[in-house]
Parts: sequence; C-alpha cells; structure tokens
Amino acid sequence: MSRRASRAGLPTVRGLARGWRWGSRPLVPASAEPYRPLPAPPREFSTEWARTPAVRSLRALAQSAALKPLIWSEVSPTVSGLDHLTGLRGPVIFAANHSSHLDAPLVLCSLPPAWRHQTLVAAAADYFFDDWWRAFGTALVFGTVPLDRTGGATAAASPATPHTLLTEGWSLLFFPEGTRAPDGQMAGFKTGAARMALAAGVPIVPIGIRGSFAAMPRGRSWPVSGRPQVSVRYGAPMRPLANESAKKFTTRLAQEIRRLDSEDRSSWWSSLREPATAVPSRTDGAAPAHWRQVWASTEPVPEPGRSTPWD
Amino acid sequence: MTRPGFVLDVDDRTPPLLVHAGESLRLERFPDGTRVIYPPESLPGVDDLDATIADALENPVGSEPLRALLFAGMKLTIAFDDLSLPLPTMKPPDIRGKIIEQVLTLAAAAGVDDVELIVATALHRRMTANEIRHVVGERVFRSFWPEKKLYNFDAEDRENLSHIGLTDAGEDVEISKRAAESDLLVYVNVNMVAMDGGHKSAAIGLASYKSLKHHHNSHTMVHSRSFMDHKNSELHSSAWRMGRLLAGHLKIFQIETSLNNATFPEQYGFLSKREWEWSLRDQAMMYGASRGLDAMPGRLRRKTFQSMRSEYAVTGVTAGEVEAVHEKTLAAVHRQQLVEVDGQSDVLVFGLPFLGPYNVNSVMNPILAMCLGLGYFFNMYRGKPLVRPGGTLILYHPVPHEFSQLHHPSYVDFFEEVLAESTDPATIEAKFEKAYATDPWYTHLYRTSHAYHGVHPFYMWYWGAHAMDHLGDVIWVGADRRTTERMGFRSASTLADALEMASGSVGRSPSITYLHSPPHAIADVK
Repeated sequence: MSRRASRAGLPTVRGLARGWRWGSRPLVPASAEPYRPLPAPPREFSTEWARTPAVRSLRALAQSAALKPLIWSEVSPTVSGLDHLTGLRGPVIFAANHSSHLDAPLVLCSLPPAWRHQTLVAAAADYFFDDWWRAFGTALVFGTVPLDRTGGATAAASPATPHTLLTEGWSLLFFPEGTRAPDGQMAGFKTGAARMALAAGVPIVPIGIRGSFAAMPRGRSWPVSGRPQVSVRYGAPMRPLANESAKKFTTRLAQEIRRLDSEDRSSWWSSLREPATAVPSRTDGAAPAHWRQVWASTEPVPEPGRSTPWD
Repeated sequence: MTRPGFVLDVDDRTPPLLVHAGESLRLERFPDGTRVIYPPESLPGVDDLDATIADALENPVGSEPLRALLFAGMKLTIAFDDLSLPLPTMKPPDIRGKIIEQVLTLAAAAGVDDVELIVATALHRRMTANEIRHVVGERVFRSFWPEKKLYNFDAEDRENLSHIGLTDAGEDVEISKRAAESDLLVYVNVNMVAMDGGHKSAAIGLASYKSLKHHHNSHTMVHSRSFMDHKNSELHSSAWRMGRLLAGHLKIFQIETSLNNATFPEQYGFLSKREWEWSLRDQAMMYGASRGLDAMPGRLRRKTFQSMRSEYAVTGVTAGEVEAVHEKTLAAVHRQQLVEVDGQSDVLVFGLPFLGPYNVNSVMNPILAMCLGLGYFFNMYRGKPLVRPGGTLILYHPVPHEFSQLHHPSYVDFFEEVLAESTDPATIEAKFEKAYATDPWYTHLYRTSHAYHGVHPFYMWYWGAHAMDHLGDVIWVGADRRTTERMGFRSASTLADALEMASGSVGRSPSITYLHSPPHAIADVK
C-alpha cells in the first residue's frame, strides 16, 4: 500500500474550501432540513443598575450629547404635540406605532429632558436581552427593561416588572404592536400597554411616528442617506373610560395613533372627520397588496412649511 | 429538543462526509444519490441521576423494592458488565459505580455482611485493578478489592462453577458458583446497544465455555437476524432459555441503564455533527485532528484515541425482573438510536472506528476489525439488513497486521494457523475450536494474565457468520492487502476503486448506503 493511497481521504485546505463553499452562503443538501435551533429560554438580565443615579446621569449625557445629535444628523425629525405634556404629571405610558429601530430613539430624543430622563423603554426580552452585549448597550443608552412578548414568565418573574417601575415613578415607552411592522403599516395592538395603564392608573400618551419606515426599515442597521424627513406627533393623554376593558381601551388607543398619522398627513380637523387609513382597502374588502402598503409607508414626509393643508 | 435520525440523499450540495478508518479520520465524497444514515442527536440525560437510581431501586418493575429483598445474614452478590462497555470508556464516575454505591448503601442499612462483587467477564480478559477501580469508583474499590471480595469472574475455575441444569433445548447452564448460591444476585449493566442486557447479562456474563458454546457457534450466529433484535436472534433465544432457567433457581434483581449518543468528548464534537452544519472551527478541528493523527507515531496515536473518554449521559435506569426491565431499556435505546430506512441497497459502507468491545486499552487486530464490521456494524439493523442478499460491503479500516500478545495471544495463532486453512465459520468450528478452547497455555494466560480466552477469536469469527452468509463481496478501503486476503476479503485504495471492484456483482450504478456511525444508529429497515 503506497503512502499516497494510505493518505487518500485526508482533508486538504482546498477540499475544505470547496466542500464548505468558503466565502459563499453555505448550502444544505436538498434532502436535509436546515438546522434551526430552538430559541433559548430568555435569560434573566437585571437592569436595576441602569436606573442608579450614576448611570442615569451617564445616560442623560449620552442621549443629549451623542444620541440626539447623531439621530438628528441622519434624519430630519419634525416633532409636534409636545404641548400635551405640559401640565401633565408622570408617570405615563407612551405608546407609539412601530416600524423601525429609529422609533425608540426618535421618541426619547424628542421628549423634553425632564421627561426623557424619567422614561424607560420596554424592549422585547427575546431580542434585546438574548446577548449580554446587546442587553448591556440598550439598557445603558435607552434604559430598556425586558418585556416578554409572549406574555409568559419573564415579565412576571423579573423583579423589575413594568407595573413596579410605573409605581416607582418611571414612565415607560411601549410599542403595542410588539414588533416592527414588516410593511410599515400599523398592525394589530397587543393589550399589554392598556392593561398596564389600567392596573397602575396612569394615562397613555399616544404617539404617531411617520417616515421612520422609509428612513430605516427592517433589515437596515443605519438610516438611508439624504436625511429623510420623519415626523413624531404626540397626542393628548388618554385615560380609560369608566368600566372600559383593556381590549376596548387598546382599540381606542390604536384609533388615536392612526388618527395622529392622518393628522400628520392632512390636518387635525380633517383627521377628526376622516380618520382615513394610509392605504384604502380593496373594493372586495380584502387587504391591499403588500407593495401598496410598503409604497404608502415610504411616501416621503413633506418638509414642514413647504406644504400645508391650506395650500 | 434533539433532532431524530434521518436519511440524507447525497447531492451536489453535500460536502465531503466524515468517515472513520481505525485510528484516523477521513473525508469522503460519496457518489450522488448515496443514502447516508445519520443517528438521532443525543438525548438529554436524566436531571438527577442519584434520584433516578434511588427511584429505580425503590420502584422496580415486576419485583419488590430492593430494600425488601435485603436482610441480615443473607448472601448478596453484585455482578456488573466489564469495561467492554460503553465505548469509549465513560468519563468518571461510571454509571455502574454510582448504582453499586446505592445498592451497597441499602445493603449496609439492612445489615448484610456477606457481599461479593464480580466483574462479569465471561471469556473476556481479566480487567486490571485500575480498570475495575474506574468502573466501581474509589469507595467501592477500596472497600472490597483488598479483601478479594471484588474480583474478575473466572470461567475456568472449575471449583467455583455451578451447573444449574439443562434448558428444554438441552443447553447447559453453568455459571459462577458464588452467584448461583447467593440469596440475591444484583446485576448492573450498561445497555449501550440493543443486543446488550436482558438474560444476556447474567446467563452469559457469568457463564463458562460449557454453557457459552451452545449459542456462541456458527449455526446460531448465522440465524441471529439480527443481534440488535433479540426476538429474531437465535443467540438471544438461547440466552433467554438459559436466563429463564436461571431465574427459576436464583433471585435476580436486574438493574439496566441506557445512555444517550454523546459518544465523543466536547472537543471532538464535530464528529457527531452533520457535516453541512460544520462551522469553520469544526472544519479546522477536522483538518487539524486528521492531519495531526496521520503525522503521529503509531503508539502516540493509539494513546490519543484510547485515552478518549466519552461524555455519555444516562437516559434511563430501570430495575427489577429481568425481562420486564429489558423491555423498558430497549424502548429507551431505540428512542436514542433507531432510524427508519426504506429498503435495502446494493452496497453498504461503514467507516470502522478505532475501538470495539474487545480492544479497550489494546490493539484492534484484523479479527477484531472483521468482527466490528461484519459482526457489530452489519447487525445494526432491525427487520432486514441494509444491504441486499449478495450485495457488497465496503469497510474503511487499515486492518494492520498487529496483535496484542498480552490481550490476544490465541488470536495470533488463529490468524496464522486457522485462517490459513479455512475462513468458513462452520469448518473452523468443527476442526479447530475445541483444541483452542481447551489449550492449557491459553487457559493459563486467561486465568492469570490479561488474555482473552483461547476460544475467543473463534467467537469473533462467528459474529461475522451472518454477514458472510448474506454478502456477495467484502472490500476494505485503505487496508493492508495481506491481512484482508488472509481473511478471505479484498482491499482497495479508494472508494472509487472499491466500487469498480464491486461492479462485477452490483453493476456500474449500484444503490449505496453509508451508515454514518458512530454515534450508534440502528436502522429499522422497512
């Protein structure tokens, strides 16, 4: 048996590179299922340190000296309705539509400093808290607290439940859709924010965000170039009506945020009269095509002052 | 959640696949369309092993709790499987030691004084003190070994054997006298594959040649289809008859354990992964390991492999009446190892690893390589063999002409003398077996040294009898031509050459199945 023959089958660098397609997307044999590991159970990540005075000061500095200049240099935000916060005493729940990672910094940085420094962001435990570095970074800069999107054990088991934080005087930013809308169009709301407001007896401040999907949709990690216009419109604080259920309160909240979007497109008055959807449904009642929804969501937000309802 | 086993069809997206070849690792590109059987991924072990063992002893199946069977003044014997299981040897603590400790704790509480522990070696070599210490743990070893109350079974110690009787089929049942005369025999096993355990434990592990020859013969082995399916195995039928006779004379409390598929330690994790899921690190590990092993001197390479300790976790512990226990154990083994396969193929391919049951801390000689391939791997099926009758078996192993004079002295003569005359199991059984089985020198080495019994190479050859009877051709890839020729086989340099050689019987486009093992997989062939 020659030495060469006895060595047949030993791996070579070239063989490995060809076999495993170095530099290209790895392929899975057609008869094999691609491996999708089950999501690991969410790990407990304490965020208490992020609410200590020292870290709060650091966060205030980071938000005002770094985050806001950065966001404001990449997009052109227009902030309206902040007058609704005047005279309002916290804590409150801020609830906004959600279609981009820009949404949380846009809201935080558009808030007056006194509110901003007292506001935390409820973030998906399975996304923002699955890696220590991501959990650490977001807790430091945004003051995130983990929220179990499945309504399971994490939120309940965590010492820092949203309810506890509200009773401690912190305001919370919620995105009731639970995730970023894939087409930019507002999806159904989960009832968590309304339940929390009912339980803690705090008002909800609705926020309509427009243009963030076009600026930085899902899949992008940085805004598009050209400083696209975005609009952040605050609505009047909402309190639950007598005997109003969380579900009905949620429906009212969703309508109000939709109305804020409409107000941003037209005027406050016309939005009251015709809280129109961004994309009219088809005549047969079916949902409009995906491209139409994306098309409508990415409609450029006009620069303020150039176009008004009175034009 | 672990993924079940599955059958891959090789296509142009499939990377080269891992193939074991003795003390080396290979990457092989199989022809498109080759079926590759992957074992199920490793199941999680039990959460609390001590509690699981305690529960099994307290709530046995088909028996009173062990606590109720122990009483002061009784004669208690604990027998256990030797180090031929599991493979590779478990990282300490060994599951047998954990169980024996709990059994002894209960015995001590019941005031039992007369306790002996026997390594159920049958005709295997005597385990060394260190090997026994590894199995039973330091505490048990220190308590019983110096007093000679912990020892290897000696199948040639006529004074300490007891003839229990004859089965309905006229088979002698002769086992250890100490076990036979005990008030209770506790047997602790490791059920690595489906052929282990059940009545095969005590009725074979503690038996003499006089008893073993009734089922360890060429006729029985040819009709064991397969060893992994005890209801269709003539070997097991005989063992079951013997075991039932034994159970009529002796109270046996059987404790069986099943393991998961964590065959390799963590650093060799890539050996258990599916190749297209190999990370760059896995690829680098494969490259480094295979190249490094190839460059090593043979002695160092063997040491590297033999020092490998598996990280098996226990998936189940069941205790009680032998047959009831074994059914539960088999279910656990099947849950871990069974893979459904649709039909037979023309060619079957195995990559034989460095280790079989009979070369732990030793050399895999040509007879053992044959036994591992044609005996063990070929029988890893239920239903019907993976290859059609008259098909071709291709095995990867260098089959070096190497023997351990310490462990396998009779193998040397078997290879040089017996196989030179015939390779037919029935012929060599009739002509040579008795002489080797009764040879005083081999017997002396078996009893006083660490040699396998003189008849053991014959048994290894019989293990391959079913495969030899079923197959049309056996071709070894990368093997020493002299050794394979002596055994009646052929050898090829590469897989392509082997397929070329086989084309005479299976054609130019044969259907091919590659059993991607280890870890273990039992093909449930429909």
